Amino acid sequence: MSNSLREFFDLGIFWEYRSVLLRGLAVNFYVFLAAAALALSVGLGAALLRISRLRILRTLGTLHVEIFRNAPEYVMIVWVHFVLPLLIGLLLHTRFEFNPFVSAMIALGFVYSGYFAETFRAGIEAIPIAHLEAARSLGMGEGLVLRRIVLPQVVRRMLPESINQFISLFKATTIVYLIAVPDLMYQVSMITQERMRPLPLYSGAALTYFAIVLMVGSSLRVLADRWRARIVA
Amino acid sequence: MIRVLNVHKRFGTLEVLKGVSFEVHRGNVVSMIGASGSGKSTLLRCINHLEVPTAGDILIDGESLCWRVDAGGKRKPRRLSEINRIRRELGIVFQQFNLWPHMTVLGNVIEAPQRVRGMSRKEAVDLGQACLRRVHLADKVDEYPARLSGGQQQRVAIARALAMQPKVMLFDEPTSSLDPELTVEVLEVMRELADDGTTMIVVTHEIGFAKDVSDQVMFLHNGLIEEQGPPAQLFGAPRSERLRQFVSKHLQ
Repeated sequence: MSNSLREFFDLGIFWEYRSVLLRGLAVNFYVFLAAAALALSVGLGAALLRISRLRILRTLGTLHVEIFRNAPEYVMIVWVHFVLPLLIGLLLHTRFEFNPFVSAMIALGFVYSGYFAETFRAGIEAIPIAHLEAARSLGMGEGLVLRRIVLPQVVRRMLPESINQFISLFKATTIVYLIAVPDLMYQVSMITQERMRPLPLYSGAALTYFAIVLMVGSSLRVLADRWRARIVA
Repeated sequence: MIRVLNVHKRFGTLEVLKGVSFEVHRGNVVSMIGASGSGKSTLLRCINHLEVPTAGDILIDGESLCWRVDAGGKRKPRRLSEINRIRRELGIVFQQFNLWPHMTVLGNVIEAPQRVRGMSRKEAVDLGQACLRRVHLADKVDEYPARLSGGQQQRVAIARALAMQPKVMLFDEPTSSLDPELTVEVLEVMRELADDGTTMIVVTHEIGFAKDVSDQVMFLHNGLIEEQGPPAQLFGAPRSERLRQFVSKHLQ
């Protein structure tokens, strides 16, 4: 009994599979970075729509935000991976499919673009018009005003909320194994099927994710607070 | 050097300026006084084109701020790029300072000289430090605005406007959001600028300042200039009953 228990907890299995597991973890980061880039750019676009002067554009922006913010991530991933290619295939009269990595990026990127759109919008709207007037009165053109006065302030204002959203997005990357993106969870379940050692493997994965999110998240928060402390009275 | 010609400004159905004309000469200090809602701030904002006059024109050294003449000889509204070129010559200081919180004091001051005038960083820094010395804040270059008092922030805002080396400085109630003791330090700096021969247009509630420093005072009422003249005449022997009431109320 004590022997089998020792084997049960034996951590040597992590060393044995270290390169596969690390590659899996790297995939989580790739999916995260790709989805975050997509979410930020689409989110900024949707935010600009939402504050547009034209009503139709504002409505489009609102529609975007409400659709994607309210879609469950897993449902989106499955839909993008299995349904969207069918629809595109019907339109183009050809067989069409996404690489699972691409599906994951699109699905998570669009879901989080809904959240980021709202964060961007709030950030832009919080900047006093008077700051812009001061810049214009000195002869600064609109491009310069956006680049030098608006965006740097928006980024600082968005930071605390964005950190939370980045963390949620990172955690969401752990469900992409359901469409066979070879991330850490995917590798862990593969090894589990082979070796029948769920306890150390799944616990190890859980602890790894937990430690990463905790460390990266809290250090980002500290950095962000220090950076903001200088400008906010 | 500045000529305001029959300027009207309407917001919807509300006519804030009903045809205002006056002239400011080089080196002169002109104060605009009047009750809230008399149109004095709107008038000042028109001179910087932050508000576009509904009718009338403003000439800066003979050049129209509002209109250009196209190839066919027709009058067209000016393009933003042209307005921005003329605006550089008009420094404005706001009631709420409006410093950019993400930049240091020096960063605020050198931003426009660097990005708009195209100065090198070194030139801009030298100029910025000189401007900050004029407002007695040479020791605050690396602070962020949030760490400064209101009076210090307003003096940075003055330095920021000065750094564009404008032909005219416009002040829009620069001390209205300051405590009395902070008001004094800002007025002191403005007095020094006036003594150096800076051309200034000042919208203010500080009757004492208007009286001591101005060459000309204008009293606005309901979007029109009710009375104007040298301060001794305006405050010593006001002709209009409204001005008399206004002066007695503010000199108590």
